Formats: sequence, C-alpha cells, structure tokens
Amino acid sequence: MQILYFRITLSVKHSSVSIDLLNFLFTNLTLIIMQDYKTDHPFDIAMSEEQQMTWDMLRKFAETEMRPAARDAEAAGRPSDELLDKMKDLDLISLGIPEAYGGMEIEQDATSQALALEALAYGDLSLAMSLSLPMLTAKIITEHGSEEHKKELLKQYSDGSMFHVGLGINNSSIMADALHSSVLVNESGEELILNGIKTGIAFAEEADSFLISATSESGESNLYVLDKDTEGLEIISKEFMGLKGLPLSEIKLSNCKIKTSQKLGGHNYSINFQELVDSSRIGMSAMALGVCQAVLDYVVPYTNERVAFDEPISNRQSVAFLVADMAIEIEAMRLMVYKAAALKDIGADFHKQASLTHRFAAHHGMKIGTDGVQLLGGHGFTHEHPVELWYRNLRAIGIFEGGAGV
Amino acid sequence: MIHPLLPNQLQKTQETMRMAAEFILRPISRKYDKAEHEPPVEMEQLNQAAAAQKDAGIGDDSVKSMDLKGRNLWAVISLEQMCWGDVGLFLARPGTGLGNAAISAVGNPDQKSKWGKRWASMAITEPGAGSDSKNISTTAVLDGNEWVINGEKIYVTDGDRCDCVVVWATLNKTMGKTAIRSFIVEKGTPGFSVARLEKKLGIRASDTATLIFDNCRIPRENLLGGKEEIEMDADAAKKSFGGAMQTFDNTRPMVAGMAIGLGQAALDMTRALLSEEGYQDNFGASIGQQTAIQYELEMLEAELEAARLLVYKSAWMMDNKMPNSKEASMGKAKAGRIGNRISLKCVELCSMQGFSEDHLLEKFSRDSKILDIFEGTQQIQQLIVARQVLNKSSTDLK
Repeated sequence: MQILYFRITLSVKHSSVSIDLLNFLFTNLTLIIMQDYKTDHPFDIAMSEEQQMTWDMLRKFAETEMRPAARDAEAAGRPSDELLDKMKDLDLISLGIPEAYGGMEIEQDATSQALALEALAYGDLSLAMSLSLPMLTAKIITEHGSEEHKKELLKQYSDGSMFHVGLGINNSSIMADALHSSVLVNESGEELILNGIKTGIAFAEEADSFLISATSESGESNLYVLDKDTEGLEIISKEFMGLKGLPLSEIKLSNCKIKTSQKLGGHNYSINFQELVDSSRIGMSAMALGVCQAVLDYVVPYTNERVAFDEPISNRQSVAFLVADMAIEIEAMRLMVYKAAALKDIGADFHKQASLTHRFAAHHGMKIGTDGVQLLGGHGFTHEHPVELWYRNLRAIGIFEGGAGV
Repeated sequence: MIHPLLPNQLQKTQETMRMAAEFILRPISRKYDKAEHEPPVEMEQLNQAAAAQKDAGIGDDSVKSMDLKGRNLWAVISLEQMCWGDVGLFLARPGTGLGNAAISAVGNPDQKSKWGKRWASMAITEPGAGSDSKNISTTAVLDGNEWVINGEKIYVTDGDRCDCVVVWATLNKTMGKTAIRSFIVEKGTPGFSVARLEKKLGIRASDTATLIFDNCRIPRENLLGGKEEIEMDADAAKKSFGGAMQTFDNTRPMVAGMAIGLGQAALDMTRALLSEEGYQDNFGASIGQQTAIQYELEMLEAELEAARLLVYKSAWMMDNKMPNSKEASMGKAKAGRIGNRISLKCVELCSMQGFSEDHLLEKFSRDSKILDIFEGTQQIQQLIVARQVLNKSSTDLK
C-alpha cells in the first residue's frame, strides 16, 4: 500500500476529542491519501464462467497428459513430439496473435492467463514452460514488434514450429539481473555489436532466431532479434538441476554484428523492460502456485495413508502442521497472484505487487517443495514419487526470468 | 470475476479510519501504555463524537446503512486501520467487546435489543482451561427462575470496564462440550466481582481482568443461545457447542485484521525512521542489487500483503454467506505470526532507535504478541486448518 502523507501538525490538545475536530478530520479535508488504484468493482475472488471452463479443461489436460509424461520428458531432455502437438492444439499460443498474422486475436486478460499457467504447471513445470515460453515470446512480439518483425516471426506460430524464436532473458553472470543484461550492446554507425553470455534459453537448437535482452552503455535494456547463423553466435547445450524436461542452452555472443533495425520495435523503439519483467514474474509465480498445489494434493493422501507407530503419520501435529502451513501459504500465494494480475488488468501500476508476489512465490514455493520431500521421508528422496522432481523444479522460481507472462 | 481489490468506497473508508488512527489514537498511544489500568477517557469521547458523525463511517449507524453484503470486509479494513493507530486503545473502545460479537451472533431478538447496545466482554478462559474451552469448570445450575453461576474466569478483555460479561459455564462438568452454555451477567450482580487486573507485556491500554462468580444469581432468560437442558442426541449436542464456537469464525478475521494493521504500522514507522537516514525501497531488484534492509523489508511486506489477502478473503466469504471456518483460521494463523515477526524485525532493523521508547516500534513489538495468542493461538488455528485439509476428526488429530 503506497501511502502519501500530507503531514499537518495539528495543535490540538488531546485531552478531549471534540466533535468539531472530528468534523474537521472526516468531512472537510483529506489529510491522508492511501488510494493507489481506482476501481468501482467490489472485492471478488470467484472465477468467471469462462475462466472456470478453461480452468477445468487445462487442469484435466495437465493431469491426464502432462503429469504422466513428466518423467519421460526428463529422461529424454524434452517433451515427446506427440505431446508437443497436443499442447499446440490447445491453441493457447495463437489466441493472442492478430488475425493478420494467422492468429485468433482474442485478447486475454492477465487474470485469465495466470489461471491458465497455474492449471498447466499443476501437471509439470518443464512441460508447462514448453508452452508458456512460446506463448510469452509471441505476446512480446505482438506487443512490441515492428510490422516487419511481426510478419517474419508471428506467422510460424500458426503453421510452423512453436520454438522458432528462442527467448533469451536469463543471464550467465551472477551479478546481472533481469533488468541488467550480461549481454552488452554497442552502437557503431548502422550496426549494433553484441557481446556477452545468455543462458537458460529453451529449445535453442530448434530456433531460427533469438530474442535476446541486451543492455546499452546508457543502462537501458531492450530486446534484439538475432538470426541463428549470425557470425559470432554460439549455442552450447546445458544441464540444470531442474526443468530437465525442457532443453536449455547457453548462447555466447562474440562481437555479433546486427543491423539497428533488428532491435525489437525498430531502431528508435524503447521497450518498457520493467513492465515486461514484472508481467513475467506474475506468470512464473502463477506456475509456482500450480506446482505447490500439486505438492499439497500429493502429500495429503500420502500422510493420511502412511502408517507409523500404529497410526497415520498425519495424526501427529508435527506432520499435520507442516501440511496446514503448506495449505495456508498456497492460498496466500494464490491471492497474491490474483491481485497482481488484477492490478495489471485495471491498468494500475503493478510493479510493487508483482515484485512482492514473485518474492513470496520464490520463498514459500521452495519451502513447500522441501516440506513435500520431508513429509515422504526417504521415499520422497527417490524417483518413486514426484516430490523430488517438484523440489528441483521449484528451485527455478525466483531465478528463472521470462519463463511465462500474463 | 477475480478482483481481489478494494473498491473506491472502501479505500475511502481506509483513509477515514487511518486519519482517526493517526490524529486521535497515536497521540495518546504512549500515554496509556505507561498508565496501565487507567481507562482512556478519550475513547469514550471518540465514541460520542463518532455517534454524532453518522456519515463519517466510524459510527455504528453508518455500518447499518451500508449494503449488508460488504459489512464484514468493511469491518475488517476499518479495524485494520484503527489498529494501525493502536491495538490497545482500539480494544479499550467502549462497546466493542467480544461479548458483543457473541450476542449478535447467537442472541435471540429480545437479548439483542436488551444487550446489543451495552458493552459486553467475554469470559471463557480459566486458570485450568485455555484453548481447550470444553474443559471449563465454571458451573451454572438452574434454581427456580434463576441461574446460579460459580467459578473463576481469567484474561477477560474489558472485564473491568464493560457493562456486562458473556460467561461460558457448564451445566454438567462430566458431560464435556455438550453441556457448555454461555450466559449474560450484568455488572453489579451480587456474587460477581472483579478480583484483579493483569499487568501485561503489551496492549496495556486495554484492561484484562480476573472475574469471580460466587453464587452469582442471574435471570433465567440470560442464557445466551442453546437449550436449558443437555441434548442427549449427539448431533444436536454437537450443534449446540458448534454454535458457540461459531462466534469465532466471525471474530477471527477481525483479530487477524488487527494484526495486519499493526504490522503495517511497524513497517511504515521503520521506513520513516530509515528514510531520515537516506533509505529508499528497491522492490523487485535482484538480491545482488539490494541492501540487506531492502531485502528484509520487501520480504516482510510480501508476507504482510499475503496475510492481508487471506484475511480479506475470509471476511468476503462471510459477506457472501460461505462457510469460512478454514479460511478464517488460515488468516488468523498467518496474520498473527506475521504481525509478530514484522514488529520484532522492525525493532531490530532500527537498532537502538527501534529498542527505544522514543518511538512506538518497541510498543508495537510488545502489543503484537497477544494477536498471535488470543482468539485462538497460532497452533490452534493450525490444528483447525490441518483437520479440514486432512479431513480428520478431533479424536484422530488431537
């Protein structure tokens, strides 16, 4: 809550509170302004009918198609082509793409998108990101691309590979962050020269081009479209502790020369990078929520069935309270995600709420991940149960930037 | 439509309440923390003034004129802001006792009209029974047209200053919760006395009394809710005690809201003190770009916002007539512990200034502890949530 104070020293003796003083305070003057967004719509947390329908459909897809495929995707390092086809058939990518570029042009509000991401991540985070990444990339190009870029890059989503554009937001340098890229861009006449290392780029081998965030000397970050065969661009496949169902790579840029028009939106365009990052943080938080809900729904029946000392382990407070706290923080995380998305939907400033939500999801997501394994004991440590997978994937929350958007 | 945002009207209420907190409660906050057991006369004056301010949104009449659908959420955000000012003083505001909540929740029309406007405190806890309120040993025996009450009650908030007390007593000690009833006992009834007032860690502006009932005779019609005889039917008996406990589903969001207000007060004051020494927030920056204080404050702010939304949701459910027992406990557990953690952390962040009585941070950190205890400790809330999430009875999960 942002608070604007007009501190006025009132020389009032507080030995008595007069009606006059109250009149002065409450009716004549507003001394404290706390309002930081405007809406006439009442407080509400119920899904709309349409949201509920999409939710039911996606949640079912996550449970029946994604969850059972999670281990195989980890082993193979990528989702099967069959599953990818099914995910593409959900039409979530083309939904927001304008008709002129082969899409459906149905504008999606942030809350509906957050709900969709949560539902998908309930199945598996790697697999959900196989879909959320092209969704986000298409959204960024739709919102910020020049006519030329849209023509070139958007069409393929409807009739080609959904991974033809690799999104490079994550940095290799530890001290860099989403707003300060570890790739630097220098302008030299008609050319831009990029140097540095990006990492965590999904399906890089399948991409024809990349959308890479780079920071200029002035400290401004933007996105740049690089062809795969740009001289000085090298793709190096990487392994991470989690998100193993999704192929991830590092991209090394050594003196890569591109034209000024390859800046997304054109030479003079400046992207609101903070807003892009904030929106993607709401998306990643929504996905964390989906995974956390999966953990809770798994440990409840497990602790109710697992018997030790002649009774279910959930009959003991030390176990039951861990589960209760999980449920409390998940409900809180859900409301944080909803509020951040709702603020975006009414056009209010959502930077602070997105930041708080992301911080909350990272902290409590990992706590829920680790408690999930703890509650299964030694069993949780093995591949017999999915909790160790969720544990590894939840570590990505708070770290992986630009993995999903709302 | 998913829209967990406050409409303009409620945000105006927030501002009005914040002004009352800032300009009326804050200036006398330290005074009554020091002068424990001295009734804050300003709160009575505030009530009188508020009564004349029907449209200002702090009088009870303005609540009644509001759309009933939003009344509980309105109440939560109002007292959140009042408690941003001072929790102790808020509790000492005449007419706002927990007993009033009980009367309005389970009282019959006659009781509501007779006692609704009086200041009613609530006496449950005894030296030998706290959270396990079914084990109380205060007894009530029907003798002719009167109930005879015997027993000792402790930790009665407003117990000295109130007009009447809602007392929990058992009709038969051997029958557990099925025999528990609540009774309205008026101040000045022979056999009813205030034995002493506690000296406390915090909320010193509010009185906490020990009450003695020694053959205290009250009219038969003062039985609040429930039947005069003990139900033999298990379901009916369960319902009877559940009815009494239901008061708490309604009041937990309120107490949780108090913790949110206090937590926000501690964060605001910490920022104000730090900004005098050049501090600025840096929300959303990476760990490498934030100072330790920026990181701490962002995390605490996130926790507070999370707790706040849980509490708002539980009040919204009440407004929409949805069963909210689980959510009310979720909000109370989270808000209680977060309010306490924030206020203690804020003292630490402000170092000796935080520890000093020059500022109210140290007071907030003392006041906050009770909010994690009364109206059900954090652990009782966890128990309620756990039983519902795991689908357990109270015999399985003790």
